[in-house]
Amino acid sequence: MSDYILEIKDLIKDYGSGKSASRAVNGINLNIKKGSFFGLLGPNGAGKSTTIHCITGIAQPTAGQIFINGVDVVKDYKLARTKVGLSPQEFNVDIFATPLQLMDYMAGYYGIDSKTRKDRIETLIEQFDLQQHRDVKFQKLSGGLKRRAMLGRALVHTPDLLILDEPTAGVDVEQRRDLWQYLKELNAGGKTIILTSHYLEEIQYLCNEIAIINHGQIVAEGTKEEFMRDGKSVEDTYLEITRSANSKKHD
Amino acid sequence: MINWIGLYTMFRREVERTLRVVVQTLVAPVVSAALYLFIFGTVIGTKIEDFAGVPYIQFVFPGVLMLSVINASFASSSSALYFMRFTRGIEEVLIAPFSYLEMLIGFVGSAVVRAVMVACLILVTGILFGAISLVNPFGFFLYVVAISAIFAMLGIIVALWAESFEQLQVLNTFVITPLTYLGGIFYSITFLPELAATITRFNPFFYFADGIRSAMIGYSEANTIIGVVVISALIAFLGIMLTVLFRRGWKIRY
Repeated sequence: MSDYILEIKDLIKDYGSGKSASRAVNGINLNIKKGSFFGLLGPNGAGKSTTIHCITGIAQPTAGQIFINGVDVVKDYKLARTKVGLSPQEFNVDIFATPLQLMDYMAGYYGIDSKTRKDRIETLIEQFDLQQHRDVKFQKLSGGLKRRAMLGRALVHTPDLLILDEPTAGVDVEQRRDLWQYLKELNAGGKTIILTSHYLEEIQYLCNEIAIINHGQIVAEGTKEEFMRDGKSVEDTYLEITRSANSKKHD
Repeated sequence: MINWIGLYTMFRREVERTLRVVVQTLVAPVVSAALYLFIFGTVIGTKIEDFAGVPYIQFVFPGVLMLSVINASFASSSSALYFMRFTRGIEEVLIAPFSYLEMLIGFVGSAVVRAVMVACLILVTGILFGAISLVNPFGFFLYVVAISAIFAMLGIIVALWAESFEQLQVLNTFVITPLTYLGGIFYSITFLPELAATITRFNPFFYFADGIRSAMIGYSEANTIIGVVVISALIAFLGIMLTVLFRRGWKIRY
């Protein structure tokens, strides 16, 4: 059994075809250990979301392989889907549904029986302090509550790997701190988490491993400590690396 | 292994969505059917002699019912999938453990469930107008399910293709509605000149209306075998086409 929950080998993703084709991901190789809290950084359009889409099945890889807990996400896609949960950047939900319904539908899609579903949703509603809002339409919830409902939905089938794409975007400072606490607890409980965020202090606070994607390639990878050598913050190192990569690209 | 609970959840979600907008999804077709029955059945029908051994209202009722079934299944699948594409809610289905065939069954089945709900309500409306006759209930149910499956699949194709709300209506306005009205839902093809009657026999909607009518009043103007072949071939063709489109992720996967 591999130590890695996620293995990405030579991943390429092109959008369009012929002359209009553009390469969003250009040969990414990445291994993520079980139990880690992994930060995936990069400027807008670097390929972070595309990589996540390829892992979760929202996009089809052009070439390369992705394994989640040893399961090929293309060849054995039905099994692979059960192993990953996604809280996407955009609120891709029925805005007239309540948090309870969103979790219930999602659990149903994952084939979870009624009894287990009910118990699990109750636990998640309690875990994310959604008791007062369980029957409120999604569109009426605050930004922080919406994010918590999305997290609950992503976790309803107890995935091995949780992917959070900008989970605190549009959330105020206080609610962001609450979300961080939930995420810390989840990871401490053994859940492997991949986090993308433009808030670098969030990455520094939460993650123990970090990779930077730029122009569809991994340009740096290491532990948080490696990114914070010589008294630098993660943000200092990130800016150093991306600026250097960008200037090389322009040269 | 088939994701039965997932499929059931897709059906259940569509029923809940249908009931959330009950005026639009269930009340409107019933009001529409009641108006057709009142005008063509009660007002005009009483001035027309019995046809095919039944009052005109009974002759016309299967066509009215078919019209509602077609509209319900097409609107259900096209609007549901188009909005899912628009809001990216489709990602909920894409990341879940559904095979491409299960996705298809889920979307089509959900629309069929809504169409059957509408058909049941229209049947009740028909009873109130004294328009009901059901010589072959099982055949009737099969025709309703098969016809709604065809229009659910057409709705899915349009929902995948459309880039605007206006495009969502194109097929309905320029193909489905004309072919439905010209498929003999309000009249017998024996009323038509020979050439028009021959052309009508090439309209698949004629076989849909005729199938439902034969199951309801026992009168048929089409060759039943040809009708069954046309309906089965359309289901198979559209089913294969959509499975391929889902597999390719056309307009739904990046």
